[in-house]
Amino acid sequence: MGIQKDIVKFNVGGRIFQTTATTLANAGRDSFFGALFDDNWDLRQHQPNSSQEFFIDRNPDCFAVLLDLLRTGDLYIPSNVPERLLYREAMFYGLIDHVRSAKWGPFDGNRLKLSRSVTGRAPGDGTAIRAGPDGGCCVAHGSMVHVFDWTLEEHPPINLDYQRVNDIGWVNAENVLISACERLGKGDGGMGLFNSSTGDLRHKFNVVHDNQTKSYTAGALSFSPDYKIFASCKGRSNEYGIGVWDQVTGKQMDFFYESPGWSLGDADKLQWLNGSNCLLVATLFPRKDNCYISLLDFREKRMVWSWSDIGALLTVDEKRVRDAIAMEECNSICVVNEYDDLGFIDLRINGGSVRWSSRSRLLKGKMPDEPCYPKLALHNGQLFSSMNDCISVFCGPDWVLTSRLRRSYGGSICDFSIGGDRLFALHSEENVFDAWETPSPPII
Amino acid sequence: MSNQKKRSFQIEAFKHRVVVDPKYAERTWKIIEHAIHEIYNHNASGLSFEELYRNAYNMVLHKFGDKLYSGLVTTMSAHLKEISKSIEVAQGALFLEELNRKWNDHHKALQMIRDILMYMDRTYIPNTRKTPVHELGLNLWRDYIIHSGKIQSRLLSTLLELVHKERTGEVIDRGLMRNIIKMLMDLGSSVYQEDFEKPFLEVSAEFYKVESQKFIECCDCGDYLKKAEIRLNEEIERVAHYLDVKSEAKITNVVEKEMIANHMTRLVHMENSGLVNMLLDDKYEDLGKMYNLFKRVPNGLSMIRDVMTSHLRETGKQLVTDVESSKDPVEFVQRLLDERDKYDKIICQAFSNSKTFQNALNSSFEYFINLNSRSPEFISLFVDDKLRKGLKGVTEEDVEIILDKVMMLFRYLREKDVFEKYYKQHLAKRLLSGKTVCDDAERSLIVKLKTECGYQFTSKLEGMFTDMKTSEDTMQGFYANHPELADGPTLVVQVLTTGSWPTQATVTCNLPTEMATLCEKFRSHYLGTHTGRRLSWQTNMGTADIKATFGKGQKHELNVSTYQMCVLMLFNNYDMLSYKEIEQATEIPTSDLKRCLQSMACVKGKNVLRKEPMSKDIGTDDAFFVNDKFTSKFYKVKIGTVVAQKESEPEKLETRQRVEEDRKPQIEAAVVRIMKSRRVLDHNNVIAEVTKQLQSRFLANPTEIKKRIESLIEREFLERDSADRKVYRYLA
Repeated sequence: MGIQKDIVKFNVGGRIFQTTATTLANAGRDSFFGALFDDNWDLRQHQPNSSQEFFIDRNPDCFAVLLDLLRTGDLYIPSNVPERLLYREAMFYGLIDHVRSAKWGPFDGNRLKLSRSVTGRAPGDGTAIRAGPDGGCCVAHGSMVHVFDWTLEEHPPINLDYQRVNDIGWVNAENVLISACERLGKGDGGMGLFNSSTGDLRHKFNVVHDNQTKSYTAGALSFSPDYKIFASCKGRSNEYGIGVWDQVTGKQMDFFYESPGWSLGDADKLQWLNGSNCLLVATLFPRKDNCYISLLDFREKRMVWSWSDIGALLTVDEKRVRDAIAMEECNSICVVNEYDDLGFIDLRINGGSVRWSSRSRLLKGKMPDEPCYPKLALHNGQLFSSMNDCISVFCGPDWVLTSRLRRSYGGSICDFSIGGDRLFALHSEENVFDAWETPSPPII
Repeated sequence: MSNQKKRSFQIEAFKHRVVVDPKYAERTWKIIEHAIHEIYNHNASGLSFEELYRNAYNMVLHKFGDKLYSGLVTTMSAHLKEISKSIEVAQGALFLEELNRKWNDHHKALQMIRDILMYMDRTYIPNTRKTPVHELGLNLWRDYIIHSGKIQSRLLSTLLELVHKERTGEVIDRGLMRNIIKMLMDLGSSVYQEDFEKPFLEVSAEFYKVESQKFIECCDCGDYLKKAEIRLNEEIERVAHYLDVKSEAKITNVVEKEMIANHMTRLVHMENSGLVNMLLDDKYEDLGKMYNLFKRVPNGLSMIRDVMTSHLRETGKQLVTDVESSKDPVEFVQRLLDERDKYDKIICQAFSNSKTFQNALNSSFEYFINLNSRSPEFISLFVDDKLRKGLKGVTEEDVEIILDKVMMLFRYLREKDVFEKYYKQHLAKRLLSGKTVCDDAERSLIVKLKTECGYQFTSKLEGMFTDMKTSEDTMQGFYANHPELADGPTLVVQVLTTGSWPTQATVTCNLPTEMATLCEKFRSHYLGTHTGRRLSWQTNMGTADIKATFGKGQKHELNVSTYQMCVLMLFNNYDMLSYKEIEQATEIPTSDLKRCLQSMACVKGKNVLRKEPMSKDIGTDDAFFVNDKFTSKFYKVKIGTVVAQKESEPEKLETRQRVEEDRKPQIEAAVVRIMKSRRVLDHNNVIAEVTKQLQSRFLANPTEIKKRIESLIEREFLERDSADRKVYRYLA
């Protein structure tokens, strides 16, 4: 038997570990071990012979877990090791990204498991929940936004002049955008960018009309990959419409004023469509008496597609659109009514009608006391729709119902969001949100 | 309650708060500071990474990140100031080496410092939006070393001097150069650009300005281009060896501008070696160089193209207007073809077959070919010459090549209908005299014309071929029906459809009785099989083979025209005939008769007749005898008519007139077609559309079109608009 030359011996907090340099190389150069074994730091100097060990003054139990992670790529946390402790040790060794990526698997709506439910202190109904790109989330309650990192540790809460928050969004893992109501006459509210970990305000966005800065109420938010921010705005006088800002400079770039008889500034939902370079703007019942869905092309300053239920015969009350989402691959917009019926509008025909799916489940009489309006989300070809206290997952070209996520505690789901390979669902009755994630793939 | 009581119940704050030793931060920082010193002093082997990492970690954890960061900045700055001094004192060539060595040291130290402070890099720096350690180290190096007053200018001048040395042929240490340039690039693209690239480009521009001036004074164009090419390649190579890839476009731009763009006009027009001389001498290599170099600068190619075009037009103009060359049409066309071949080859070999150059060539040819109004005639004559005799012993492919080249010239013609006219005449002559060498070649050319100009253009030409074929069959039928004629003279009749063939005024001469009866028989045979047709004899176009016995019994077979036959046959019965008598007997038109007598009496070697008085020209009082002394070494003697191959001036005018006449209905038809679809159109648009429609056949003259319109108005096809006189309306 040959002698393995790259055996490394550690003494961590009094416990001896032996491993190979190859295993430690999995940590990467930007880690404690990567630097330790770099040519600059002559390790042999401390280890004149292989019987002498390299001492690290840290927790041995956590080191065992992390060493196992480097060996197998699998994260197994024994019950005697608190997660918080493990994360801190991973931070020390520079292995926190390894831990995060091993903690849960790639997102699949049909394999989700409840990871944790987090209870907050904030009073009142939740407004919105948004999943961050690295597995964290932020939750808006009234005028406060609570930020949680991917370990579901809470960071300092953020607010914009204590004004009511209408929407939130992650610009990137470090920055959260908040849109809030204005405070009359003071120029408070509007839209602000915050550091997600410290809660510091980094930039406040202005709306300029006729070279004058105006106070305004910011509504729904959306982002485009070319670093633009879109927000629906309601100003004092004329500033109704969609504002566009540059993420890098923070300056207003454009403003799409709404035309008479068509609502943009009150929009419930904005969605940037990358393929067609358009912004979907949906203003829905009951915020307005009618529903307006339109696609805006900012290059030509033009509404390229629009749909509205003005003038439609409202004989069946349940067919009111409550949320909409564009599905570019299918060239259609999916809408949902308050009974969780899905409908589809063809994007290729201007002014087409809604084709409601026949999957209608009439829930009359079974409605909870305090119903929440359904919400839609699309992720990797899977369609998600929230209704009461559960979320339905639809797959395939015909959108077949494949899974249902339900947790009895907390009441109806008022908002949910997918991102960072996690799904977050916010309940309305109790101040609770759930984090759902896909478990790591099975070992065999 | 009293105050005293209150005092006795006072609660003290919990004093045993875990307070970090106030000196803790200071102490820990000292350890790290010491380590940084050791690293810079190459003494790192005594350091424990684990300990240092842990200390830095603890400082950040206990909120001393600020102290750690500012301490790092101070310590590193101090070291860099010292390094700056040691570089400053390095002398001469050692300067760059010292700089390079210190850079390597700093880079390694920076790496190790970053390792120690990894935790700070990861947590403290993103949250406080400070510069990460590695970038900080680079920025400090930039500020303290590269931008230090004593180093910055020295570094730049050293680098530029080295480049200059290399340009003048010295060998420099490229490795060192590469390292220093790489350092500048590592410090950020703006450092490289501001501290090196910009001045480098300026100095290069100056260098090449001087050098190109020197070259252009003493070199000819070819040499200059060679030198410019070498310099360009040198700069590209330099970039590949030790500069940033992005500099390549910039430095080549400088060389292109200084060496080519600024001297473009002078190079092209250089005496004895410029573009025109290159074209004249077929210098493909130099032309190729010029093309490739000029391609790199704006307007370079268009300049070459313009000079080539004007030169080509000039030479072409000389060629087509040269009186000498007009004398021989075949030579004329051959020279055009040679010229085209020459430029085709130049464009193909030197100008990478560029489309724009080909277009320039084509437009030039189109320009000067049409300068000579006889070009269509000459091209047709060239074809005629080739098809009559030129294609003997030539392979089929070569025939195709020649025909293709002719078609190329044909395409340049604006008056394609004139060509058609001549071609028809020449073809008719070839067919009727049986001179066409190769039927395949004839047909191939017709097909080419058809693809070029459409069915209409060639339908009549094809009709001529059909006539030839049917005539053959008719003759066979005639002799099959009249076996009794086998012994007499043989008659070959070609029945030509009126309209398909070039029209000739039918002037019938009196045929000898033997022939006249034969003709009559044929007429009744033909009209018997084809009712409702009319035959008229075109005696001016026929030929005859006659056997003649001269004075001493020498026998010859004479190949003569029909007219000549008529004259000769008269001498079967008479020994002497006067001009008047011949004219009376044959009724041949005067000019033709004179010509045919001239060919038989005045041409040496062919003089079967004798004339009194002996003179070159035929007079009306001349008398003619059979030349008993006629000899020839051939049994068969071909007596050609004295006929100019080229058209004479009056003939030319006549053809021209016929062409003009033919154009009239075509213009009218075009006007009516256009007006029928448009109903209402103004004058200028009518002219434009008519010109466009007729382009493939000829260039319609606007005044002529106007005349045609007037005529159509008179005949009430069109009317002028009552409000706007410039607008025409179509009358259905």
